[in-house]
Amino acid sequence: MKKQTILIIVPAFNESGNIGRVIEEISASPLPVDILVVNDGSRDDTAKEASQTRAGVISLPFNLGIGGAVQTGFQFARKHGYDVAVQVDGDGQHDTQFIGDLLAPLKADRADVTIGSRFLAPFLGYRSTLIRKIGITFFSGLISFLMRCKITDPTSGFRAYNKKAIEIFARYYPHDFPEPEAILVAKRLGLKVEEVPVQMKKRQAGQSSIRYFKTLYYMVKVTFAILLDMLKKKKGMER
Amino acid sequence: MTGVKAIAIWLSVSIFIFVVELVRREKLSFKYAMGWLLASSTAIVFAVFDRLPAFLSSFLGFELPSNFIFFSLLVMFIFLSLFLTIFLCRQESRNNVIAQKMAILENEVEQLKKTLLKEAKDKE
Repeated sequence: MKKQTILIIVPAFNESGNIGRVIEEISASPLPVDILVVNDGSRDDTAKEASQTRAGVISLPFNLGIGGAVQTGFQFARKHGYDVAVQVDGDGQHDTQFIGDLLAPLKADRADVTIGSRFLAPFLGYRSTLIRKIGITFFSGLISFLMRCKITDPTSGFRAYNKKAIEIFARYYPHDFPEPEAILVAKRLGLKVEEVPVQMKKRQAGQSSIRYFKTLYYMVKVTFAILLDMLKKKKGMER
Repeated sequence: MTGVKAIAIWLSVSIFIFVVELVRREKLSFKYAMGWLLASSTAIVFAVFDRLPAFLSSFLGFELPSNFIFFSLLVMFIFLSLFLTIFLCRQESRNNVIAQKMAILENEVEQLKKTLLKEAKDKE
């Protein structure tokens, strides 16, 4: 069998303190991977720092948000014929040792998308703020109820995608706060989703895109987006 | 002719002329001028034959002709802003697509440049 080509997509917005280390960590993994940093219109030295490493860099002319940045990665992966894409956020939160675990269900053809979950047994330990825990529990419940399947960590951006998923998400991927909504899109368009237990680290520098005051707005907005998503067509995209 | 009537005619005619002028100077495309031309011609007709809006408003059961006019304007602006939002949304998604395409192409051009330079150096 032909060897699988793997692209690691690293969306990064103002991550100049983190990006070098993230790429180093990914490079340290034994898997043969190509790394693509999608610089989402950063105003700091993210692009410069990334281009000094072995990673490829795509710089968007202005900030599209995480959804638009990740989608750019999918479009690149599709254009260059990669078999698998893995999303690793540029803030260094995702522990890259688990990339192999994310890939296993794709290789075994059990799933089209795998999500690294902090809360799936065996529990590998994760501490979070109360409000964030409430938010995650809420979305987990909502999506699990709507999709009739168990999703424990819907906001996790640590994900792997096979060719079928890349093809679909290159064409259509939700913007703004895309992670929970993307699960619904995946299900709606007939992709199999599976969770894999992973560990995540505390942020090393900078701030999460979801801050305290924004959490409520985030929850309301994503809830509406998810409910509206339920009304969309089952299969086939018009765009 | 009453003062109100004169003002109404003057205003609607100037909007009409202004829009035509914008199209002539290519500041506005015909597609978007259409709605404005239609609206201002309706206003001109209403201003000249002022018994028409009064008749329409009593026919539709409005207490006063002014209520009818305010209501119609409100409805018009609600739809206008809704259509503008749709238009804005379409522009934004087109913008995003262009940005993504451009960024990927830029990356590929850089890669191409690098390999070409390397080949040229190897030949030397």
